[in-house]
Parts: sequence; C-alpha cells; structure tokens
Amino acid sequence: MAHSLAPHADQEPRTARRERIALAALGLAAVVAIALSLTVGLKGNLAFALELRTMRLAALLQVGVAIAVSTVIFQTVTGNRILTPSLMGMDALYLLIQSVLVFTLGAVGFAALPSGLLFLGQATALALLAAVLFVPILARRSDMVLLLLAGVVLGILFRSLTDLVARLIDPNAFAVVQSATFADFNTIDETLIVPCVVVTVIGATLAWRSRHLLDVMALGEADAVGLGVAWRRAALGLVLLVGILVAVSTALVGPVALLGLLVVALAERIVGTTRHAVLLPAAALTAVVLLVGGQTILAHVFGNTLTLGIVIEFAGGLLFLLLLLSSRLR
Amino acid sequence: MTLFPRASTMLAFACAAALLACAPARAVTIDTATGPAEIDTRPDTVAVYDIAAIDTIHALGVPIAGVPDKLYLPQLGDVAGGAVVVGTLFEPDLEALNALAPDLVIVGGRSSRQAGETARVAPTIDMTIDGTHLLAEARARIEAYGALFGREDAAAPLLATLDADIAAARDAADGRGTALVVMTNGPKISVYGPGSRFGWIHNELAIPAAVDDLDAGIHGDAVSFEFIAEADPDWLIVIDRAAAIGSGEQNATQTLDNALVAGTTAWTKGQVIHLPAADLYIGAGGASATARVLEAIAEGFATAQ
Amino acid sequence: MTTPRPIRGDLVAAAVLLVVLALVSVLVGVGRLSGADGVELVLVSRLPRTAAALLTGAGLAIAGLIMQTLARNRFVDPMISGSGESAGLGILAMTILAPGASIALKTLAASGAAFVGTALFLVLARRLPPTEPYLVPLFAIVYGGVVGALTTAVAWEADLLQYLSIWTNGEFSAVMQGRYELLWVISALVAVAWWVADRLTILALGRDTAVGLGLNYTVMQQAGLAIVATIAGVSVATVGLIPFVGLVVPALAVRRYGEDVRAVLPIIAAGGAGLVLSCDIVARLLRFPYEVPVGTVLGVVGTAAFIAVLLARPRHA
Repeated sequence: MAHSLAPHADQEPRTARRERIALAALGLAAVVAIALSLTVGLKGNLAFALELRTMRLAALLQVGVAIAVSTVIFQTVTGNRILTPSLMGMDALYLLIQSVLVFTLGAVGFAALPSGLLFLGQATALALLAAVLFVPILARRSDMVLLLLAGVVLGILFRSLTDLVARLIDPNAFAVVQSATFADFNTIDETLIVPCVVVTVIGATLAWRSRHLLDVMALGEADAVGLGVAWRRAALGLVLLVGILVAVSTALVGPVALLGLLVVALAERIVGTTRHAVLLPAAALTAVVLLVGGQTILAHVFGNTLTLGIVIEFAGGLLFLLLLLSSRLR
Repeated sequence: MTLFPRASTMLAFACAAALLACAPARAVTIDTATGPAEIDTRPDTVAVYDIAAIDTIHALGVPIAGVPDKLYLPQLGDVAGGAVVVGTLFEPDLEALNALAPDLVIVGGRSSRQAGETARVAPTIDMTIDGTHLLAEARARIEAYGALFGREDAAAPLLATLDADIAAARDAADGRGTALVVMTNGPKISVYGPGSRFGWIHNELAIPAAVDDLDAGIHGDAVSFEFIAEADPDWLIVIDRAAAIGSGEQNATQTLDNALVAGTTAWTKGQVIHLPAADLYIGAGGASATARVLEAIAEGFATAQ
Repeated sequence: MTTPRPIRGDLVAAAVLLVVLALVSVLVGVGRLSGADGVELVLVSRLPRTAAALLTGAGLAIAGLIMQTLARNRFVDPMISGSGESAGLGILAMTILAPGASIALKTLAASGAAFVGTALFLVLARRLPPTEPYLVPLFAIVYGGVVGALTTAVAWEADLLQYLSIWTNGEFSAVMQGRYELLWVISALVAVAWWVADRLTILALGRDTAVGLGLNYTVMQQAGLAIVATIAGVSVATVGLIPFVGLVVPALAVRRYGEDVRAVLPIIAAGGAGLVLSCDIVARLLRFPYEVPVGTVLGVVGTAAFIAVLLARPRHA
C-alpha cells in the first residue's frame, strides 16, 4: 500500500526516524516474502502455477490488510488493546454459518452452492452482527469488563451451536466443515477475489483517510467530543467498516482468529507509536509478512500438511503469551 | 478459463497417439453424483480424490496416477507406490495436479467440494456415494468406471462377486431378527437408522430395524445406553469410530459392555457383529471395501449362535 | 461492592429446587420405569446420571470461583483457559500412542493433562503485571487457543478431529453405574474448598495483605490450584467439556452476595449443580429419545440469557 510519511512537526525527529526505519524494514520484509512466495519450488506449467500463486497472493494480501486494519480500528474505537473482532465471536459465527449450510444442504449440495451466494450470506451475517452487537455495547464503552465478557460469552454461544451441528453431520460432511473451519489459503475461490479486493481497498482507503479522526478517538470519548468529534456517528461508521472488512477476509479464507491480535501488538512494538498514520500500514505489513511468509514456508518446507490457520493460531498465540509475560506489551 | 494450453496440447498429442495405436477414442456417458457426464476420451492419466473411487478403480486394475496423501485402507498400499501425491482429500495441490496433467479428475464425498478447483486443471467428475442405497450405487460406480476405462471385462467379475456377497449377507441375515446399528465414539454411542449413511444395511440387506420409528438422519443420533436397553435388538451391528480412522484401537466392546446393554437379546445371545470400520466408514462403496463389509456381515450372522 | 443479602433464605430455596430437579431427573429418560426392571434402571442409570450432573455442576462452579480467586480476576473459567483443551490433548495422546488403552486409562491421561495444563496457566497468569486486570482473561483465552490449536493440529494430522470433538463435548449420555464414579472426587474437593474458604477470601486480598494476616500464601495458592485442576481434569475426562458454568455462576453470585468465599460457596455450589442438572434434563428432552450435549444446551441457553442480562444491567458509575 502506498503511504506518505510526513513526520509530524510535534514529533521528536528521533521518533519519526525510528518510525520510518521500522516501516521501511517491514516493507522490505513484505517484499521479500512476496518474492519468495512467487518463486520457490515452481514446477510444471509455469504460467499456470504463477497464475495460481498470484491469485493466492492477492487473497493473502487483502486478508492481511483487512484483518490488520479492522483490528486497529476496533481497538481504537473500543479503547481497548485486547478486544478484536474475532474475540467477539465473528469467527465462531462464520463456522456456525458454514456448519448450518453443510447440515442443511448435505455435502453435495454444499459443494454445488454458488460461492457468490455463500459469500453474500456470510458477509451480510457478519456485518449485521457487528452492527447489532456493537451499537448497544458502544453505549457502555466505559465498561470494558462487560465488553470482554460479552465477547467471550458470545464466542461460546456460537461455538456451542457449531458443536451441535457438527454432531449432527456425518463424518464426510463434517470433514467438509472441517476444511472450512480453518483458514484455507490453498484453495481460494477466485470468483470472490476481485469483489473482495475492491471492498478491501475501499475499506483500507476509508481507514487511511480517517487516520487523524482515529488519533483523536484514541483519546477517549470525552476528549474526542471536546475536540469536536461526533462520537456516536463516527464510532458506528467505523464499526460497520470493521464488520465489512472482517466479513470479507473471513468469507474469503476462513477464520484467522489470533492474527489481528498478533499483528497489531507486534506492529506497535516494532514502530513504537500508536499514531494511526504509522500503525495502520505497519500492522498491514506485519500481517502480510506473517501470512505470505508462513504460507510459503508451510507449502515448501512442510508440504502443506498443516493448514496455515492452525499454525497461526498456535505460533501466534505462543508469541503473544510470551509478549504478555515479558510485559513488553503495555 | 483457458489456463492450461500445455495440458490441452498434451491431451491432443495423447489423442493422436491413441488414434495411431488404433484404439479409437469414443465418447462414453456415465452416471455421476451430479447427473450423467459425457467423457469423450478414455482417460490415461487419472487423479482420484476419493477413497471409495480409488478402491474400485484399483480393483479394476486401472493404474491411478495421482492420489491424496492418505489412503486409510491398508489394502490400498500398493496404489500409493505407483502414484504421485496431489494434495489431500480436503485440499488438492493444484500445482502438483497440473504438473501431473491428468486427463480426468475424480472427486467424491469429502473432496466433492473441490470439484470446482480441480476442474480448472482437468475435467472433473463427482462420484460421491450415498449411504442409504450404497450397494446399488457401488454397483453403478463399478459399471461406470468399467465403461470409462474400457475395463468391462474386469468389472464383470467384480459385479458378480458383489452380487454374490450381497446374496450371502442377505441369506445369512434372513429371519434372524432385528438389528440396531451402533457407532461407538470413545465412551459415547450413536445409533443409525434406515435413513442414515449406514441405512443400506436395513434397506438393501432387508435386515429389519430394531426401532421402527428410528428417524435417525443421515448422521446417526447420539443416545444413552438406556436407548439400547429399551430398543432390545436381536443383533447389534457395531462400528468403532476410532478404529475407522485407523487408530487401531478396539474399545467398542468395552464401551458396550455394561449393565444396560447386557440385558438385551443381542448381548445375552452373543449376537454382536463388529464391522471393519475403515471399510464401512472411509471406503464406503468401494468395490473391495464393500465386499469386506458384506463378508463380515455374512460371517457374523453365520457364526453367532 | 454490593451489600450481602440474606443468603440463608436463598439457600433453602435452592435446596428445595435441587430436590425437585433431582426427582424430575430420575423420572426422565428413554427406559420405562414400570415393571421389574424399573428399580434396576433407576439404580444403574438414572441416579448415577443425576448425581453426575449435580457433582459436575457444583464442581465446575466452585472451580471457577477458586480460579477467579487465585487469578484475582472475575473472568477466568477452567473450561475456557486451557483445561478442557489439555484434557482433549491427553485423550488424543492416548488414542494415538496407546490405541489399545482402556477408557479408564484415557480418563487418567486426560486428568493428568488437564492438571498440567491448568497448573501451567495459573503459574503463568500469576506472572502477569497485576496492574492490568484485562490481561488475565486475554491470557486465558489465548492460552486456551494455543493448547486447542496444538490439539487440533495433532487431531487433524491423525484425522481424529471429530472423534475428539465428540468425546470432549460435555454430555451425560454415557453416564451410568461404573462409568462416572471418579466424579465423587469432586464432592471431597468441594468439602476441602469449604474448609479453606476463609483462607481463600484472604488470598483474594493479595500477597502482602495475606502474609500480613498470617497466611501461608504459597501453600494456599498450591492448594487452590490443585482443587481447580483436579475438578477440571476429572469432569472433562468423565463427561466432557462444559463451558460457562464456572464463569457465570460465581460472577452472578458474587455480584449478588459479595466476596466472602465462605458465605457464597454453598450457594455457588447449589447454583452450579442446579444449572447443569436442569440443562441435562432439557438435553434429554430436546430431541427425545435422542441425546443433545448438555454443554451445547448450556452454551446456547445460558449464553443468550447471560448476554441479555449483561446488556440490560444499569451502568456502574
């Protein structure tokens, strides 16, 4: 993504320099990861393989951007470094939708379902959930404990329902759900990539243009209102944007639960600032490095036996726990 | 989408070679899970993402060029030796598949959802087998593959064996009373009725179900042991899920060996049949897997006192 | 902090309710109670199942309370902080490494794994900076996710994912005489919790205050940990993973009756028992004669109601 990095006049030059260097390093890492993902282990028909890989790369890039941007916005609006859209049960809802579809349509019917319809249903459901869930919750923004609890409880609700449906599915059909349970970056429905890219680009642009608004909102409701921000309206708009972004990435590749939490925490440590002009691109680049790099390593070192989703969940979670324990994540 | 100029060129060469070898190419129409499909050449190089299909095609003596990473059934060990791994049942590796340049891809069951993906590389047919009338579909698939690969000569004895096995299982079970199909899953159990994926045991072997109104869906239903005691079947037909997945364990007997099941006719008379789980569960409908299941049923009914 | 209400009256009401629920539970099931086998059916199947639900419910609620006291945080629950996932990992390891192992051995492995997993969580959680209360539940969720991902990865590789999910899905369908007795360990643990209740209350005040009041802080923490881990391990291995009880019952009780562990412990135990048993009765009737997992019933009914309660609650100043 293109981004200008005009250092703020009120920033100390050293800080600004660090931000620039960190962003450049992240950008370089992302470029290397992308280059490797396109070139490592090519075999057979080059044109076909490259086309496959380019498509997969497009999906990975937009998933990384969508998840990073949506998590940053979400954490800023809720004023909470812990809450992420996926912790609020969105991934679980995605799985629920998948399970219900498999259950009602059967394995063959599910296979025959047009992916556009699937995407539409999931995106709508997830965006609606975001709106329905966060509008009442935003009114109680001060009570973070409540937010967190509500998210955890909602996640359990969706998981319980998914479990119920899974019990009702025969193993073959369950296996279809299973493959849809984890982020699947190997077989991406290409008919979805173009519309999803469009939505992601629009969403990321909107987020980028709101970067100063986000900086103000990060001060908290009272201060932001004092500075002339129409808090409720801005928050609602941003949350809808989050819902759409999460819906897009989830519908495209499936749930990547801990990725958002991980990339924002990492990006913040790397660039050492919470200014959104830096944080947004840094988080997006971090996500791209992790996803593209991880996918390449899995495909060519481990032979693709483990899905990237499980690995992200495990490695990401482990790293995050270490960060928490070393209390470097404040 | 014209994504594989090279593949189609190779296909053209292959056709030409076939013509020169005076084996005239011909169109066959075969039944698939998604309706009749017309295949206009005899496929030479075939990739299969379904265990039952691999089993049947292997039994016909047709070489399979591309297979998923796991075949589950030990009897399919020699298939893996001569084939390239082209992904898993859930995720075809399209690059590997494309490098293999198959003339035909067969998906089914678990992999049926990947038909759209593999179709980008080569023509794909979905040969999913439905469990409520598994035997009829297993026959249909043997016939279809026989026609497709020009191995009607090999299909005929397979069909004869299958018919004989079906007849033997039916005769052995005839008039021996009701049965209940139970799957153990660790310490828990589910039952399967005529409408389920194991429904063919009742529907096609004419074994009466112990519970008339068992509206168990395709997936079976979780029940307590009280249910079995109340149903009081004459025969218990048992599938151990863990064994089906190849963990090699046989805990079904332990799970069922309790005071509530002990009161049933089946348990008191020792009329409990353990089926080869992987054959019934993973390879359901494959030619040799189905034969093994039918033999186990016939043997079970024959040997129990 | 709210003022404690008269707990005694509520306790009597709870006791009456539990007796009624237990009677209903004995009467509800697939088997017919009439005839000669009726008595045997009650003894072999109904009473064990009723007892299992009561024990598990009380145990999970108490485990949740103690865990919250230990972590000094209201939003941890043994079932969503790695205990359940660890137990699953134990079962999985036994299934793969020793496929011939009996269910009893697998149960033991699951208990051991849950013990290790829970202990590790509490040890790690205690090292978190105390100034950040939300770090603990976050840590719990991520920790559970990590253990779960490990379990999933192994199960996925071995194609045992569905097997595992059905085993560890909380339900009482497999409970009968000879299949649940391990759960009686819970009653002893609840008694121990009652015995050390005052010390747990002091424990919640923090190390310095507790030591100042003459408490052997470390020993007390270990004891609490042992209780939580054992309850979690035994219940997951025997009846599966039942979420939400350890989170919601203590949270509601503490909000209503205050923080004194000895005062709230009986009502929390009764609340957990009643909640799980009533949900199990629903689970038996929902698709009669088939079973629905009680964990699912609890998850669906309980969470929906709980969210409604949370959002309807007037905001604290």
